[in-house]
Amino acid sequence: MTDYWVSKLFFDLQHDAKLAAEYRADMPAVLERYAIKPDIRKALIEDDVGKIAPLVNAYLLRFYFQIRGMPQDEFIARLHALKAGKGKVDG
Amino acid sequence: MANLVGAFAASHGPIIARDWETMAKDHRNRLAAGFDEIGRRLKACRPDLLVVISPDHWVNFFISNLPAVCIGLGEEHDGPPEPFMQKVFPRERLKGHAAFGRHLLETALERDFEPALSHRLKLDHGTCIPLWRIGVDAELPIVPIIVNDLEEPMPSIRRCLAWGRLLRQAIESYPEPLRVAVLGTGGLSHSIGEPTMGWIDEEFDHACIRHFADGEDARLAAFLTEALPRTGNGAHEIRDWVVAHAAAGSQGFELIDYFPSPQTLVGAGFASWRVAAAA
Repeated sequence: MTDYWVSKLFFDLQHDAKLAAEYRADMPAVLERYAIKPDIRKALIEDDVGKIAPLVNAYLLRFYFQIRGMPQDEFIARLHALKAGKGKVDG
Repeated sequence: MANLVGAFAASHGPIIARDWETMAKDHRNRLAAGFDEIGRRLKACRPDLLVVISPDHWVNFFISNLPAVCIGLGEEHDGPPEPFMQKVFPRERLKGHAAFGRHLLETALERDFEPALSHRLKLDHGTCIPLWRIGVDAELPIVPIIVNDLEEPMPSIRRCLAWGRLLRQAIESYPEPLRVAVLGTGGLSHSIGEPTMGWIDEEFDHACIRHFADGEDARLAAFLTEALPRTGNGAHEIRDWVVAHAAAGSQGFELIDYFPSPQTLVGAGFASWRVAAAA
């Protein structure tokens, strides 16, 4: 189920370098501006890829964790740790 | 009357731009060869205008307002906003072709298609990586067609085929003697931001190639409609190839190269179509 406000946060971070810098410096302050449920806010602060992934478009998810500074290999490893719903993973 | 003089398709992916200078030389050379061959064939077509069919990677549109198809009919468009693109393709503006864009839009509306319109699009890496690597002249006007390949539900493959035929009708009913080429970008298989990220589905890719070569629209549509939900999400960009394929008359497909590119996370494909009207 798409979470509009998490998606909006990720979209805004992609478009606004100042907001992205602010987010890196003070996540809770930025999160206050979005109507994000407490458990999801906690998942964001904890970089819980598995909890966030079902809520947003996969491309926005990838971009968000780039903004968060998560190395691509780690991001992929965390995704692979989730139960893949389709196909095998070659990459 | 305008003529379609060339139809092409090429993959894209941010890592192609980000890691171009640092990726293994053999791999870079093979990617470069695919793009270069399209560039050579495009130049040989001597186009006056290039229609580029590509997705929007959350640059112009968001889930608050997300068109299935959007036609760019501006006199110019903005270059890529991504910092990694600005390093390799530092064009702030790309020349558009307002008259053909408007003609395409009007042709669509007359035939009961209802695309969105934009007088100024930001053309992200999906459009600009191929333009960069193919070496498209900065003076060649671009008419972008943005297809929603990223967020479900997406346009059906049947509709993408119909869009390609419509594009051909719009080209051939344009009153000026323009030489028009089309370029579909994206694909082939890849998986981004989902549990299969990194997966390149070679079986899917080879089946796509076979279906394009066979030129049977109904079989192509049936295959993609059934297979797309089972492969990586990036494969949805095959819609852009489908539009180019149908614009070319669904015949004359020529594979330039295909290879899995785990370094860039895509099944890298390069193709063109022999277009009967080319002169």
